[in-house]
This record gives sequence, C-alpha cells and structure tokens, in this order.
Amino acid sequence: MRALLVTIALSAVLLPAAAAAQSEDAAALRRELEQLKRQQEQYQRTIDSLSQRLQRLESQPPPVATPPAAQPAPTAQTPANPQGQMRPPSVTDLLRPRQPFALYQQRGAGQLLFDIGVTGDFVGNITQSSVQKAGAGTFSGRENRFFPREVELSFFGQVDPYARADVRIEAGEEAPGAETTVSLAEATLTLLTLPYGTQARLGQMRNRYGWSNVVHEHDLPWVDRPDVYRVFFGEDGLVEKGAEFTWVPDFLPFYLMVLGGIFDGDNETAFGRGRLSQPLATGRVVAFFDLTDTMALQVGSSVASGETPNRLTSTLVGYDIKFKYRPDGWLHPLLTLSSEGIYSMRRTERGVDLNGDGSFDFVQRQTRNSFGWYGWGELQPWRRWALGVRYDSTQYPATPGYQWAVEPYVSFYPSEFLRFRVAYKHTARTNRDLFELNGEGGGGRLVDEWFFQATFILGAHPAHAF
Amino acid sequence: MKKRIGVFVLLLVAAVAVVAPPPIQAARKLRVVATIPDLKSLTEAVGGDLVDVESLTRGTQNFHEAEVRPSMMLKLRRADAVVENGLDLDAWADVAIEGSNNPNIVRGGRGRIEISRGIEVLEVPTTRVDRSMGDVHPRGNPHFSLDPGLAAPITQTIVDGLAGLAPEHRAAFEQNRKNFLTQLDSHMAEWTKLMEPVKGSKVVVFHPDMIYFLTRFGLVQAAVLEDRPGIPPSPQHLVNVIRQIKDERIKVILVEPWNDVKLANRVGEESGAKAIVVASAVGAVKGADNYIAAIDYNIKTLAGALR
Repeated sequence: MRALLVTIALSAVLLPAAAAAQSEDAAALRRELEQLKRQQEQYQRTIDSLSQRLQRLESQPPPVATPPAAQPAPTAQTPANPQGQMRPPSVTDLLRPRQPFALYQQRGAGQLLFDIGVTGDFVGNITQSSVQKAGAGTFSGRENRFFPREVELSFFGQVDPYARADVRIEAGEEAPGAETTVSLAEATLTLLTLPYGTQARLGQMRNRYGWSNVVHEHDLPWVDRPDVYRVFFGEDGLVEKGAEFTWVPDFLPFYLMVLGGIFDGDNETAFGRGRLSQPLATGRVVAFFDLTDTMALQVGSSVASGETPNRLTSTLVGYDIKFKYRPDGWLHPLLTLSSEGIYSMRRTERGVDLNGDGSFDFVQRQTRNSFGWYGWGELQPWRRWALGVRYDSTQYPATPGYQWAVEPYVSFYPSEFLRFRVAYKHTARTNRDLFELNGEGGGGRLVDEWFFQATFILGAHPAHAF
Repeated sequence: MKKRIGVFVLLLVAAVAVVAPPPIQAARKLRVVATIPDLKSLTEAVGGDLVDVESLTRGTQNFHEAEVRPSMMLKLRRADAVVENGLDLDAWADVAIEGSNNPNIVRGGRGRIEISRGIEVLEVPTTRVDRSMGDVHPRGNPHFSLDPGLAAPITQTIVDGLAGLAPEHRAAFEQNRKNFLTQLDSHMAEWTKLMEPVKGSKVVVFHPDMIYFLTRFGLVQAAVLEDRPGIPPSPQHLVNVIRQIKDERIKVILVEPWNDVKLANRVGEESGAKAIVVASAVGAVKGADNYIAAIDYNIKTLAGALR
C-alpha cells in the first residue's frame, strides 16, 4: 500500500514534468526544422543564382586561349597544381562542369582531349534515262540526281597511353527522296603498345585490303570506288567487324607490314555468313621502297577468305601497286600510277536438269573463278589542278560476263580543305540481263555518265600515308 | 574452328598483357628520329657520339605537307626516341608513328620528345580562328627552330628527353649542349654585329615561317605574299603587296626553296625588291648543312641584300 502511494505521488509529480519536457523538445525540433528550411531555401537561392551565372557564361562565345608566353606545359615533373597549393573545392567549383562534360567549352589550345572533324562529299551524276530506268548507273538508284554521298563526323584521339580510338559516323543518301541514312562507318580501338612490333585494331573498320579499300569515299582520288571493288565487295567496299593484327619487322632494309585479321564476314556481296564461328579471315603483306628521294613504290598482296550464307567458300586474292613521283620541294606529286586487281574463287551452286523437264534434278557445286583490275594514272602539274584517268575491267564473280570502263577526270583544289571534281565515265557490259530484268525497262549495257563532286573538310583530318 | 578461335583469343590476351616496352640496351647508341632536319642537327649536337639521328624530312620540303611514306615508319620502328617540333607543324608524324608499331614513341611514351614545350610562341591567335584565315595554326607560329635565341630551351628539352632514356649519359649530353651553346654564342656575337646596320628594315616573306628569326634580329615582317597561310596568293593580293613594297621601299622578299620562287621573282621585278631564297631549314640550300651553317647563310644573305 505504501509502495502504491509512493508510485502515485511520483507519477503525479513526474508526468507533468515529462509532458512539459516533451513539449519543449517538440518546440525545439520545430525551430530546428524551420531553421533547416530557411537554410535550404538559402542554398536553393544560391544554387539558382550560380546556375544563372553559369548559363550566362556558357552563352558567351569562349575566347581562344592564349597561354602565357614561355610557360611550359605542365608535365609529370612540374605539376600544374602542386599538393601544397591545393585548396578545398568551393560550391562554385563543385557546380562548374568538369571534364569530360565541359570539353566543348574548352576550345583553347590543346584543351580538347580528342579531335573532331567533319567532311562533306556531294555527288551529282547525269546519265541516259534508260540507264536510270534499269538502275544500272554507278550510283544505282540515284541516277540523274545530286545527293550527299557521305557526310562524315569523326572523333579520334588517344584513349590513354596505350590505345587510340577512331569513331566515324556518316550520313548519306542511299535512295531517292528526302531521307538520309545515318550509320556507324567505323569505330575502332587500336592497341599501340604491344611488343615486338605488333599492333592490334578491334572494332568495325574498313579492312586493309589493297591500298584503296581503306580510303574513305571523300578521300578517294576518283569520284567512285574502282569497279573491281564495287563488283566483288559492293558499293562501299569491304567493311567488317572484327580484329586486325599487324607486325612491322625492324630487321629488313625496307618497310614491310604483315597483317592478319578475323572478322564476322558480313559483306553480303562476297561472303555474308556473318558468324565468328565461321569467320572471314584476311591477310595482307605490303612492302615499300624509296627508289630515290623523289620516287617511291609500294607493292602489296591481300587475301580474304570466308563463307557465303549457304556455307560455300569464297576467297579473294588481290595485288596492288602504287608509284609516285614527287619532284623535290613540290607540295604534291607530279605523277601517280597505280593498279589493283582481285582474283575471286567462289564456290557456287548450279541446278542441273538432266531430263529436260524444266526442273532441276540435282544441284551441282562448282568453283567459279573471276578476275578484275584497274589501272590509274594522275598528273598534277599545278598545285590546284590534277588530271587523271582510270581504266577498269572486271568479270562478274557469280554470273558470266564482264564489264569495262574508262573514266577521265579533272580535280580542282581551291585549298587543302576544299575540292571540286568533274569526271566522265563510259561503261560497257557484256551481260544484258544484269539490269534488264528489274521490270522497269531500260538497259545497262552501255552507260555514259557525267559526275560532279564537291568535297570539304571542316576541322581536324588526319594525314594519309603514301 | 572454335578451338582455333580460343587459341587466337588466348594469344590476343597474352599480347595485350605484355605492354611494357623492352628496355634499351646500354651498350649501343640511342637511335633517334627527328621530324625535321633542324631538330636532327640540334639532336646531333647534343647527343654527339652517343646517338644516331635520322630525319623524316629534307630541308627542301614544306614540312606542313610532308608525305607520310612507309619508309618513315621503318625509321620510326627502330627508334628509341622521336624528336618532334609540335604546334601542328609535323602533325603528320602521328600517322607515321602509329604505322611504325613502336610503343616507345607513341604519345605518352618515354621516347616522345616534343620541342615546342617551353618555347615562347609567337603569333598565338588572340581571337577566334577558323579556316577562312587559311591554314592557320591555333597554337601559334610553329617555325621557331631556326631562331638561334631559342636553341637553349630546344636543346634543354632534347637533353631531358635523351637523358630520360639513358640517364647514365646525362652529364655527357649536358656537356655537349654546353659546348654547342658556347659555339653558338660566339657566332651570335658576329651575327648581331652583321645585322646591326639593317636593324628595323622591313622585309616581305612568301610564307610566315621567318617571324622568330626576323624578330630576333630586329627586322620587320611588313607583308606576306601568301594571301593567307597555305593559300596561294590571288592577283589582287599580289597587286596590293607590290604597291606596299613600292610605297615602303622594301628591298627584300624572302622565299623558301620549296615555294613558288618564280612568282617571288616576278613580284620582285614588278616592285623593285629582290627575291632571295632563304634556308628555311637545315639543308634547304647549299651550304646550310647544319644548324649554325643554316643561320649563318640566312644572316649573311639578308645582311648583304638589305644593305
């Protein structure tokens, strides 16, 4: 009983006190909450103010950086911001965009960590209406049109001390109309620091097959890719996904490069299997000889072997030779001569009708061999003008017949970054059926075409070897 | 086939794993490749008997538009170091270096020596630049190598680069450099004396590749024959330059051996000035076989023509 009374008495004293304490705590919490709210609002105002300031700064054209004279670039030995001078980042520092997000702002000297370039290549062609109906022109489906063939956006540079990357995205007209196709032209990673003179390139690339296959459309010395490449590999040449490995020995008295590659084999014209389990294997050997200070010769041989979608072997062996004469002190070659050829060995299937009832009794497999080549010469007596002619002769790899063509042209270079070209191409085909079975009428046996080409380079553009 | 691909992938992984370049044997000479002959000459002066130096270009060439030959790649394949000018004068060297498959000299490699670092660069654009200005160099004029006043920082960069590869030879490189600079100083006194009477004279250049040299000896580049860098002159521009030469009584037009010497002569005939071919690089003209000889040739030719 006594204990009960003590408990009641204590409760009577302590409960109001506890209630009062709780009330005080709640008031304190409310005050703190309000203070936090005020602080948050203040921070928000600061952030808004800084954001507005940042937007204003971004909207202003960035000045070209002018590094202070005689100040060496920061190196590992002379760090730009030594440890002793470091300070904690302020709110402004934290809000300021940093690399790589702010790369676009830093247009000053050496600030961008990679190069960006744009090239535009526009082609116009005029030909007979019968050729247009048959779709038998060099730019099939785009006869008698002026169109952007290749507008290319390039990003390239060092990834780190061990590798570089090249990415090229291109847009162009593939069929008449307002639509333009955008595609990944190339994306490669090159490992630069492999031992024993080796190097590896991975990704999607223009294969190093012959010397002209690696050259992009806008850099070709002609309006169109040679017929032998177009007939054997398609309009774009050989572009594949996979890996290439090169070896450059250092013990020979001349330059030699040996290449081996493994690819998916997506090229529909020559291969098309598209599986790494049955890959397209490529190889190339190229040698270079400085004949004199002014004359040089490059010879090479290439091979590509893969399978067609119906598992038939397709192998293409090629040669290439290029000669240049560049008089001492000239800014351009006076004379360039070149030839490339491809010998195609393709297994094909042919239906055999033994009893003449119109249906095939069995399918016979055979190897179809075909050969194509071109010869080219260019004379550039003046810096701004070049004249040249190319002769093409190509058998068809999967059907009988062949075609030949001759294409003289004139190139005019107002500057290093701008070029205009006019060309005439006459093509004669022995096979009438190739283009006359498309139901549109017309014909593709004799084709006369006039080409006009305009090409520009904007920004960075890497140099080309020989 | 899958087994073959497996082996192939293993080989690839093994190759990628071994990224360290092989060490340089101490016994043999350092093999150095310079992108231009001026830097070859300076590297020879610094390296002495301890280095073998080759140049990728000749003095008679325009370094802006050097053709990347695979033979360059062979030289670079064997190189321990490459000495490059920088400031985009020899940007083509990147293509040759990549094609050489030599890990020592790729960007970031120990054997990559870029000379423009530490140079007081002239004609750095202070406004936004674009290609309407021609083949403009956004980081400044890269033709500094034949300014004798810059030989000291250039050779210091070379010494540092070579000593990074062969630290045991640093003292020898430093001594070679000191000897070379002493020799250069004695010539400098003579050159300054020769140029003193013509100080302040105006000259016309075909391509703006002499500005460092002219500034060093107190000459003024009054006009450039090229309309804009790298772009051949238009008739209207030539008319303006000829008028300026006449008005300002300019005596000399400087032209590089690789440039349009005939055009420079024609402008000279029209305007009354004398077109003289300068040693725009070591080996550009007869008698300019090394760094000091090239500068000596330019000084004596210019001093004679301006008197």
